[in-house]
Amino acid sequence: MSSKKIRIAAVSFLNARPITYGLERSCDAANDDRFELSFDLPSRCAERLAAGEIDLGLVPTAAYATSAHELRIVPGIAIAGFGSVRTVLLVGEVPWTEMREIALDGASRSSAMLLQLLCRERGLEPRFREVPHAQVLDAVRGTTGALVIGDAGFAAATRFPHVQDLGAAWHETTGLPFVYAVWAGRPDVVDGEAVARLQASLDDGLAARPLIARAWSEAHGGDPALYESYLTHSIRYRLGAEELSGMAAFFARAHGAGLIPRAIRPRLFEGAAPTSALANRSRGGMEGPRSVDALLADAAAGGRLSPEDAMRVYLEAPALELGAAADQRRQMLHPDGVVTYIIDRNVNYTNVCVTRCKFCNFYRPPTHKTEGYVLSRDELARKFQETVDLGGVQILLQGGLNPNLPLTWYEDLFRWMKASFPLAIHGLSPEEVRYIAEIENMSIRAVVERLIAAGLDSIPGGGAEILDDEIRHAISPLKCTTDTWLEVMRQAHALGLRTTATMVFGFGEEPRHLVGHLEKLRALQDQTAGFTAFICWPFQAEGTRLKLHDDTTAMRYLRIFALSRLYLDNFPGLQVSWPTMGPEVGQVGLRFGGNDFGSAMIEENVVSQAGAVFKLGAADIERYIRAAGFEPRRRNMRYERLAAA
Amino acid sequence: MTATLTSIREKARSGEPLSLEDGVALYRHPNLLEVGALANEVRERLHGDRTFFNRNLHINATNVCEASCAFCSFARLQPGDAGAYTMSLEEAWGKLRARIDGGDPITEIHIVNGLHPGLPFDYYTDLLSGLKRIQPGIHLKAFTAVEIFYFAKKFGLSIEEVLQKLRAAGLDSLPGGGAEIFAPRVRKKICDDKCTADEWLEVHRVAHRIGLRSNCTMLYGHIESVEERVDHMLRLRALQDETGGFQTFIPLAFHPDGNALMKLPGPTGVEDLRTYAVARLLLHNIPHLKAYWIMLGVKTAQTALWFGADDLDGTVQEEKIYHMAGAETPQVMRPAEIVRIIVNAGRAPVERDTLYNVLAEGAALTSDKPFRRDVRRSLEVVS
Repeated sequence: MSSKKIRIAAVSFLNARPITYGLERSCDAANDDRFELSFDLPSRCAERLAAGEIDLGLVPTAAYATSAHELRIVPGIAIAGFGSVRTVLLVGEVPWTEMREIALDGASRSSAMLLQLLCRERGLEPRFREVPHAQVLDAVRGTTGALVIGDAGFAAATRFPHVQDLGAAWHETTGLPFVYAVWAGRPDVVDGEAVARLQASLDDGLAARPLIARAWSEAHGGDPALYESYLTHSIRYRLGAEELSGMAAFFARAHGAGLIPRAIRPRLFEGAAPTSALANRSRGGMEGPRSVDALLADAAAGGRLSPEDAMRVYLEAPALELGAAADQRRQMLHPDGVVTYIIDRNVNYTNVCVTRCKFCNFYRPPTHKTEGYVLSRDELARKFQETVDLGGVQILLQGGLNPNLPLTWYEDLFRWMKASFPLAIHGLSPEEVRYIAEIENMSIRAVVERLIAAGLDSIPGGGAEILDDEIRHAISPLKCTTDTWLEVMRQAHALGLRTTATMVFGFGEEPRHLVGHLEKLRALQDQTAGFTAFICWPFQAEGTRLKLHDDTTAMRYLRIFALSRLYLDNFPGLQVSWPTMGPEVGQVGLRFGGNDFGSAMIEENVVSQAGAVFKLGAADIERYIRAAGFEPRRRNMRYERLAAA
Repeated sequence: MTATLTSIREKARSGEPLSLEDGVALYRHPNLLEVGALANEVRERLHGDRTFFNRNLHINATNVCEASCAFCSFARLQPGDAGAYTMSLEEAWGKLRARIDGGDPITEIHIVNGLHPGLPFDYYTDLLSGLKRIQPGIHLKAFTAVEIFYFAKKFGLSIEEVLQKLRAAGLDSLPGGGAEIFAPRVRKKICDDKCTADEWLEVHRVAHRIGLRSNCTMLYGHIESVEERVDHMLRLRALQDETGGFQTFIPLAFHPDGNALMKLPGPTGVEDLRTYAVARLLLHNIPHLKAYWIMLGVKTAQTALWFGADDLDGTVQEEKIYHMAGAETPQVMRPAEIVRIIVNAGRAPVERDTLYNVLAEGAALTSDKPFRRDVRRSLEVVS
């Protein structure tokens, strides 16, 4: 990096003030030797960046996606919202669905594209007309609405009878945050030190939000308390894994709707990655542009591994270097050092199952006279109430494929649960959904829609085993195919459900099967961004009919886990599996790419019947997380953090 | 912190001894894997991928013990106390006979006992000579420094006299137990009845002088500070500089069940791995670092093979001390299982004797019929 100043352009809107707060003071005060700061409208920042007039701009995410040049994003900093954002509004004298024409604020790029996308996905076809930023509200008349962005939104919100917050609309559709703007520039313009300065500037700004709000009120009028609440509650400044998922989902949907010419995903500046053990390797002999070292360094910084690269990394990378790269990637995605966990209960509502998987110890065939069960409402009520009493927020509800349970049984169960207990339903793996569709002769989509209407909140990613039909056929011939598993998830994501994804290894599969599994998940996630987290564990063979001698040791688990963190670059979360690996290895997994400790489980029947006996309560989990150097926080299934209990 | 690690790395690479401050910095460094990678570098420089194990048997002949250490779940104060036992010599010898009759030969017996107030010195010499009669080539690694010191006091002998008499009866080397934490503050709280740090070190000094090799340990994860751990290791290193008689350092994780320190949680996995890595870096003059699977758990012990450890101990069988403190590990691992764990970690298994002479490695270890297929596959997978 030369000593040449980095020319940066930021936005003068209120919501961008915290981002530049620290920079402005240093640039003003002491003739800053690194940065030259100017201000402009978001769309102008993008234009000046494209023209090469500036090196780094606070640009709309849409401009990032449509840039003719390859751009990189400064990690950790964004203007984003999770739900209602208050300054990206569609206003009019008629409801959205009746608007024939919409005036677009010429200062906006991301919001305009978001509006066009949301219209298309709702089957609405208004005419769009761009007007200058200052004149946008004047265009509203009759069936002509307007998209208002920035500070004008505060006034517009009360001026019109029909107001739709686009942040809220996006969240309802996807369950994800929306990222409006990021710092972006050409790949080599900033180094780690410059990124640290930008992050420090935001830290200063976040601490100064009351001051910023008061100053804004003095200069522009308005209520400082409103501004402070806006800066504190409406805007999120963290560019974490969920925000990156939101960006990826936006790009994928916009590309699908023809609004973005090419498939693109958010990429962060690589120079910003903290130095790691990678740089200090002393092993020789692996020179060349795509050495395993180079692959690891690239993946650690957010680069995408090809399946071939992943095979090489898996087979050749030394264990701790693979782990360090995954740890570095985790640090970029979850920069605040928090590791989450959930308190929930795993309830297996029936053990009657037609599938007869060789690796399962839990099921009883429908013909079994004595040991098959379906839990009664009384039994369920007791389990659910105990869960609530223990601070649980969710029921993981899974069972066998029981031919005696029609869709209405599940609907009644869900409605009763929702009416009686404050618990989220994380229920019915793709296999169960598929089976209900089969016995009801309905489409998967229709089944998922009915289940959502009855109260289903999310779908667990179980039953994926290895997503390869050759392997699946060998171990569970009656289970759904790879395509069906993925299709259920695709449909669920399209309907706005978030789900997890899993992988069980140790069936004698080869590395190509593992990488193939990860590739299928990553490809679907590129399209839907609906997966919240990935969990893998080794097959627990004890007592099952599968006699395998595959490698299920801790080191293989940690290698596969770290590889997954690197390969699944579009997955926000990676959960360690302490119930199968034990808390010690689960904890070490937090240093091999994990950011979630899973569940303080009250009950689990399937794995424990095959020999896994580890049990941990919330206090133990927090101790393990802290000892690994992280701050524990409880979460719900959507990976939203909960207030400490 | 990073600057500190850089200077530590330079020292470690040039073989310069690390200081107390370096040790503490390694414990406090935020990046576990960087510390681990540096320890692994030293481990690979010393041993490459080679990872050692042996075939052994543990005999804990009595759990009657005059000392009442706070961390111990094994000892009983009096012969009549509930759970107290003392093996007859025939019983103890029978353990070895059973292994031989079972077609499960061993090369070492590890003997550690309570400080029994009523047993005569002959019990111990007869125990050793009887075992040697059954299998003359067997290596007897017996009696911690604490026991040796107790014998000297109790039977009015010098440390050297005790060691010479035991050697004459068949003693080959000393195990490393009883060191706990050397700092007087800690010893006073957890093992006040035990010999002092200086007395423990003196027993090993004398043993080394008369030609016996020995191991050394540290019990961590209870009430000691990071500084006290580092200080402990540095005292071992200083004696090693003087004598060169230590073969292996074995960090022992405290297990909280059934003892006076039950309220303490015990160390977690990352703390175990950290301690292994720091030990490998601080104890540059002690050749081996043992991940004792009995107390670490098989999974963590395997992982430790990438954090500085180069030894997994042995097949064991009949371990009592840790299992009475809540260890849930198996009592025994077959050699094939140990080999499998090592190979699956991407390391090269070596069967050794107690003095680290190589007994088997390479194809000789992995050619077991029912086992070979797995190892081949594992080799493909792990490289």
